[in-house]
Amino acid sequence: MTTAAIEFREVTKVYRQRWRGLEVPALTNASFSVGPGEVCAFLGPNGAGKTTSINLLMGFFFADFGEIRVMGYPPGDIRAKAQIGFLPENFAFYKYLNAERLLRFHYALAGGAASAAGLLISDLLAKVKLTEYRKLKIGKYSRGMVQRVGLAQALLKDPQLLVLDEPTSGLDPTGRKDVRKLISGLKAAGKSIFLSSHLLSEVEQVCDRVIIISKGRVVQSGMMEELLGNSDRVEILVSALPEELQVRVTEWGGSVAAGEHGISVVLDLGHKREFAEAIWAAGHDVLRIAPLRGSLEELYLKTVGNESGVA
Amino acid sequence: MKVWTLAASTLESFLHNRLIVVLLLVGIGIILIMMIPLLGVKAKITGTNQAMMESVVLQVVSEVVGFMSGLGSLLAAWAATDSLVTELKAGTVLAVMARPVKRWEFLLGKYTGVMMLMAGYAAMMIGVSYLLAWLGGQHIHANPLVLFAYPLVRYAIYAAMAMLLATVLGSVMSMVSVMGIVIVNSMVEPGSWDWKPKLMWLKTALYYVLPSTNLLSEERFLSLRQAALKPTTWQEHGTALLYGLDYALVILLLAMWSFRGRTLRRD
Repeated sequence: MTTAAIEFREVTKVYRQRWRGLEVPALTNASFSVGPGEVCAFLGPNGAGKTTSINLLMGFFFADFGEIRVMGYPPGDIRAKAQIGFLPENFAFYKYLNAERLLRFHYALAGGAASAAGLLISDLLAKVKLTEYRKLKIGKYSRGMVQRVGLAQALLKDPQLLVLDEPTSGLDPTGRKDVRKLISGLKAAGKSIFLSSHLLSEVEQVCDRVIIISKGRVVQSGMMEELLGNSDRVEILVSALPEELQVRVTEWGGSVAAGEHGISVVLDLGHKREFAEAIWAAGHDVLRIAPLRGSLEELYLKTVGNESGVA
Repeated sequence: MKVWTLAASTLESFLHNRLIVVLLLVGIGIILIMMIPLLGVKAKITGTNQAMMESVVLQVVSEVVGFMSGLGSLLAAWAATDSLVTELKAGTVLAVMARPVKRWEFLLGKYTGVMMLMAGYAAMMIGVSYLLAWLGGQHIHANPLVLFAYPLVRYAIYAAMAMLLATVLGSVMSMVSVMGIVIVNSMVEPGSWDWKPKLMWLKTALYYVLPSTNLLSEERFLSLRQAALKPTTWQEHGTALLYGLDYALVILLLAMWSFRGRTLRRD
């Protein structure tokens, strides 16, 4: 049996302010897992418990109940941390260091040999397109450049698991495309990636698994293809559409669009058979029937509704 | 190795801190200001008043160094608090602690960085005292190693205390608490404060719990200088220094234990 990269079992975390008698549940009985080599999108509105979950799995916070395993070890165990590359939300840094020295510092903390650092750091800086700014103090970097150097430090020492909290935050469209390409490359190399983001269209393109969290509870979890393919609507391509059938489609809440290869009709699954039989009865052909693939945004909105933080 | 990496980074962050630059400027200012009376004293030295002038010069040097040493205690407490609280506030601790670094290694690295800074400060203090004595036409009799070790041990205690407090309190509260401890410490020193008889139990308890006032007070440092004329044995030095180091170690271990269970969030 292969060890899951991340495993949460019935995890509960409550923030307490003892002197005020306040208790705010941040995570309630959260269970999910991320397999080795999977790219997992961790989604949810602001305040849903995403960053709390990440802090718990990194060992920065402690769970009140439940069990967490990261690469088979408890959170905070240095055997687990040795395999993790982490990019926190709003990556903070020592402003007086330049990118090269910051990466050297993190490489030394990761136990890397100083002799091997030079080449590796040059490669990483090239990967995140910061080679020409390597000697500039990070305090003078733009937000996007800071995010890039944060990504570079997360990639040091070739981690098996990448935990990325809002990796595209502050990046322009080109930067976001570069990050997507980088993640695809890491996915191809068999790395596990746990990705928290509000940019649903971005994560839809690179992720295999989706976990949606809302108000501290996991409300949706599964493989991306299964969840998006699991639509209650169907697309039927027909050779022709008589007028009375077009009216019925509209009454059923469906839509009609003329295409190059026929007329595309989108309907609720419940009207599929009735519509197809009516087409055949009218002497026309049904060219294709396919379940309609939803978008991640649709799934997200359907799952969490209109809570704040939807991007 | 990781502890050294963290210590070097901590020291470097101090060297980029404006407060340290201000302290250095204060030190240079003190030297410049004290040059005038000391050069005046030097000019008045004759064959007959040599011993009296030596006493005057060493008294001035003692007071200046005593002031700087007291400032050093505050600097040690501030540096220890700042090294931890700034990391937590800025969030830099998250990327650092995501590395295979144990929490005690992180704290020890920070503490070592603080002590490296304080070693530099103690060395500067010796330099200033020798320089001032030389400007007054005299020389210091005390062993430089003793002048270096005593304040450093005192700083080690203050830094450990501040670090322990910083694991549970914010920077301001930690500093206020350390200063409170210093004040209470001076109050339990024999003969320093008139305690009511019914509170004598409290004085006794505090006297045993708080670090030895003899070791911590500026008088201890100054009397050591006088004692240099009546040599103190290395065994006596060793006992006093080991007591201080032991005290600092216990507090540091408590700080490590406290930090072990601390939530690492941006405060």
